[in-house]
Amino acid sequence: MKPSVLLRHVNGVSTALKCTHPPCKGRLFRPVASKLFSTTQHQRATESIAASPIDFDSFQSTQLSRDILRKVRVVPASPSYFTGKPDFTDNLLSLQALLRKYQTLPVVQPGHAPRIAWKTHAQYKVSVSEPVKAAKYGKIVQLLHRLNHIHPSLVPEEVLEALQLYKRDVNPYDNVAVLQTVDPYGRARGVGRRKTSTATVWLVEGEGEVLINGKSLSQAFGRIHDRESAIWALKATKRIGRYNVWALVRGGGITGQAEALTLAVAKALMVHEPALKPALRRAGCVTRDPRIVERKKPGKLKARKMPAWVKR
Amino acid sequence: MPPPTCLRCLPIRPAPSPRSVLLCHIALPPAQTASFSATTNLSAAVAKKRPNSHTGPPKRGVKALNIKKTQRIKSGRPPAPGERKALRKRIVLSNTNALEVQGMPDLSDKNVTDASLVCRVVGIPGLVVDSLRAVEAFKPTQGWGLFRRPAALVRKETLQLGRYIREVETAEDKKTIRRVVVGERGTKDLTIGHTEYGPLFNTNPTQYVQKTYTANLLSQISKANKAVLSKLQLFQQHDLPIPIQSNISLDRLADLGARDPDVAYPIFQALWAELTAPSTKGAVRPPILFTLDGINQIMRNSAYLSTDVKSIHAHDLALVRHFINALSGAQALPNGGIVLAATCESGKPPSSALELAVAQSEARMAGAEEVPQPHPYKAMDQRVLDSMRDVEVLRLKGLDKDEARGIMEYYAASGMLRERVDEGLVAEKWTLAGGGVVGELERGSVRMRI
Repeated sequence: MKPSVLLRHVNGVSTALKCTHPPCKGRLFRPVASKLFSTTQHQRATESIAASPIDFDSFQSTQLSRDILRKVRVVPASPSYFTGKPDFTDNLLSLQALLRKYQTLPVVQPGHAPRIAWKTHAQYKVSVSEPVKAAKYGKIVQLLHRLNHIHPSLVPEEVLEALQLYKRDVNPYDNVAVLQTVDPYGRARGVGRRKTSTATVWLVEGEGEVLINGKSLSQAFGRIHDRESAIWALKATKRIGRYNVWALVRGGGITGQAEALTLAVAKALMVHEPALKPALRRAGCVTRDPRIVERKKPGKLKARKMPAWVKR
Repeated sequence: MPPPTCLRCLPIRPAPSPRSVLLCHIALPPAQTASFSATTNLSAAVAKKRPNSHTGPPKRGVKALNIKKTQRIKSGRPPAPGERKALRKRIVLSNTNALEVQGMPDLSDKNVTDASLVCRVVGIPGLVVDSLRAVEAFKPTQGWGLFRRPAALVRKETLQLGRYIREVETAEDKKTIRRVVVGERGTKDLTIGHTEYGPLFNTNPTQYVQKTYTANLLSQISKANKAVLSKLQLFQQHDLPIPIQSNISLDRLADLGARDPDVAYPIFQALWAELTAPSTKGAVRPPILFTLDGINQIMRNSAYLSTDVKSIHAHDLALVRHFINALSGAQALPNGGIVLAATCESGKPPSSALELAVAQSEARMAGAEEVPQPHPYKAMDQRVLDSMRDVEVLRLKGLDKDEARGIMEYYAASGMLRERVDEGLVAEKWTLAGGGVVGELERGSVRMRI
């Protein structure tokens, strides 16, 4: 009799024990009932070939439990134990089984399912602690995508629970911008940022008066270029004499504050007149300029400046 | 900063901004022959690049790289002493390249209270220009040299000053109007310590006289008021260090003081006594306009030190004392007059007492019940507060849209603004000028834009 080693995960600890049963060559863990076109769920190895699980806590004495322990055979909880990536394989197979079970349920139109940010490849690898290839993870994402498209009114709890495991802690798509409206006093608020400056602007119908931190435009900015930047949204749409601007600006320098005001005034103007968005985009007022001061790197004196080159 | 000479050589059309998406509408002034035209340049065809023998790399052996420092051209003649200062401070009042504005009325004593002139630009007559130049009323930082002749916009406040002049002239009880003009940014020499000073003995507290400044002041008074002073004669007896004829005309008296700084102050005192003597049948004295620009400089300690090495308060300087007496009403002007002071906003020294005095005056004028009080824990200059006790404030805000339109039409008629002056342009320039501040409006419309 050739002893063969079978492993079973007992309480998370794998134990190797010798077995006295005659070995089954080749088709060890093939479930007996599995056929090519079977609709039955893939049965776990424990259910097909192993004995039923023993509850050690129910025994009266530890000696008795030790005796029993010598006679049992440990088998893995999942056949995927023998793959290189058991948890990944289990996940993939369970999702495929779910899909096979519910593939006849009606689906929404492509792109109309709730927008969810699935875990990134790196985050998934951290959660399973296995070196899963990106393409392999992509297969899981495809399955998630398909399962997500099941009609929301008919989606089973099982599917929702399974999908929850693959969602990020915070769904970034839930962060929807609040639609601003003109308030009862006729004011529209817009916020703009540039470098480290933040500007908040309230735009109201008026004669073209501008107050920035309580000062007039000429007192706030000495350069005409900066004054024009601050009200560029109004200048580009030829509405300088139609609105009054009341602004608060903090942080940064002169040009940073002026450019922050550009964006803020544009946003406030779009609340009053949403149809101006294409014109403001062409004027360059809509995109938030993402440029910031580059950080200093090790080995360099500043972000890019290298120390003096020495021959040796 | 470019030297003033370059202003004449500048092209009239402002440099186009790279971000400009607006079209420039060129305003053609009505039927005038301009002394220059940009039409030929604008409509000329683009010149073709002719291939010449110098295209391509230079021949072998020819030195093409020249990385020597550019040598400054050293002119043979160094400037004479005072020439650079004169160039820096010179006032240009006329630009022959600018167009003459047809139909522009002149400001005169007859139309000084004419309400139909509001929002229009009026020319300043030649004699008045000479007087203003003599008293240094034109500043080099202002844009007088961009137009054909000096002109000014008539605002509501201008008419108000005209009314003051009328009141003073026609009032029977010889009224004196005392005002401080306050406004946004656009006498320094008296108090910054740049002119010689000396104590006046037998005065308590010690007053200080600046004789060179007094001499200069007398010269300006003489030049600016020659037409009036030459008709007035000395009527009182004065104890002066130099002999003078008994019926000398007042402008010649002032010239005597201008020539010799040592006798300048006594002559100034004599002149002042003559002008402030009550009019009699034989000696008619006119009302006086006494003005001071930059009152912030005199409402604090001056930069001078006494013999005890303590700061001399500006009000202890004799000339400043004269003005303050007139402003506060301590010295009455028996023949009537206007005492006008103006604050300065650019580079102003801090004077919390002046700010408080202005705030108090404005509150009183507005009829507010609560007048701002001095800060209980900060020392306030009591002398300043006392001098400004009954003085009214005339606050100059920015122009309103109609006045801005008036002055921009004048710029366009002079050929200095080459865009069509419509509601949109006026609104834009008005807003960019921080609500119609005149200096900023001129800078944004007519000067180089930076």
